[in-house]
Amino acid sequence: MNSSQNQRVKTGTADSGEETLRVIANLPPPDGLVDRVQTRLRTAPRAGRVLSWPRAFAPGGWGYGRVVRGAAAAAIVCVVAGGGWRIYSHVQPGPSARVIVMPTPAEPTRGFSIGGSVHTPDPMRGPVLTHQVMPGPSEAGTPKPIPSQQHGANPAKKQGKGRKVSSAQPVDSQR
Amino acid sequence: MSASLHLPWMEIAKTAVHDEARQHAKEEALAALVEQYAPTLYRVAFSVLRNAADAEDAVQEAFLRVLRHRDSLEEVRDHRVWLIRIVWNIVLDRKRRAKTRPETDDVSELARVLPATGLSAEETAAATQHHARVLGMVDKLPPKERQVLVLSAFEELSSVEIAAVLGVTESSVRSRLFRARNLMADLLERPRSVR
Repeated sequence: MNSSQNQRVKTGTADSGEETLRVIANLPPPDGLVDRVQTRLRTAPRAGRVLSWPRAFAPGGWGYGRVVRGAAAAAIVCVVAGGGWRIYSHVQPGPSARVIVMPTPAEPTRGFSIGGSVHTPDPMRGPVLTHQVMPGPSEAGTPKPIPSQQHGANPAKKQGKGRKVSSAQPVDSQR
Repeated sequence: MSASLHLPWMEIAKTAVHDEARQHAKEEALAALVEQYAPTLYRVAFSVLRNAADAEDAVQEAFLRVLRHRDSLEEVRDHRVWLIRIVWNIVLDRKRRAKTRPETDDVSELARVLPATGLSAEETAAATQHHARVLGMVDKLPPKERQVLVLSAFEELSSVEIAAVLGVTESSVRSRLFRARNLMADLLERPRSVR
């Protein structure tokens, strides 16, 4: 089958498909459609008439004139501007917000603060005595404890040393 | 009262009468539009929605929109295309929302509305099945091609008017129609391979 024949067959098939669409497109509308739509339109709420004006201000009333509407507009402007002026004239300007109160330094007489720095003593350098310290009268008669006595007075250290000694005892016995 | 006396409310009253008359004229124009185009709009709506109640709802909504914008009626050049465009947008929107409706509803609705003059019950059922199958294939077409194909079935719409309804150029309507016909032919020849 050549391409033109193929195209013809395709067209025929598509036409049979379009026939269905044509049938649907030509279906008659239901009876009373127009009347129902007209009724719906009559009963539909009209836009802009939700808030109805009083008759005097509706088109045709005395309040619909250009002069009356202009006066109403002027009154609205006066009320708004007057309210704004009243607020403006009653409000007192406060102190300037740009002033920043700085905290007073701990020692204002020195002039400069420490700036948060903390003095750390150097543990390697001990304090240097500038003068001779004389012992007091109560401390003068008291003999200084002998280091060996002090060593013997400590039972815990003695025990510890005793253990070492006990471990060394066999060596002594051997001697 | 002297003839020279001229008060502002006299002018106001005249304007009011004029406004009322204009309003009345607009309402009459709208009623005439309903009378003239409601059947066409219904058929356009039904061709997309395939449900009588939905189509009627869409027509009513279209005219309600016209009622809301009745002040701009005078500016419209072609009322028919304008109205079809309104209802077209409404039905596309509704179709998009009501995708969950089962296809069997379409077939039963189709059997109810299709003309069955001179056909036996079996022939009517067969025709309905055929139409339902074709419509199922139309639904498988890409949206742009499908829309052009559906609108082209309306003999009263030219390609220029279809272009105006869809908001595209006439040449693109023609090319889309060509593509849609080819796709439809392919689908009808071998429907199972596409599924």
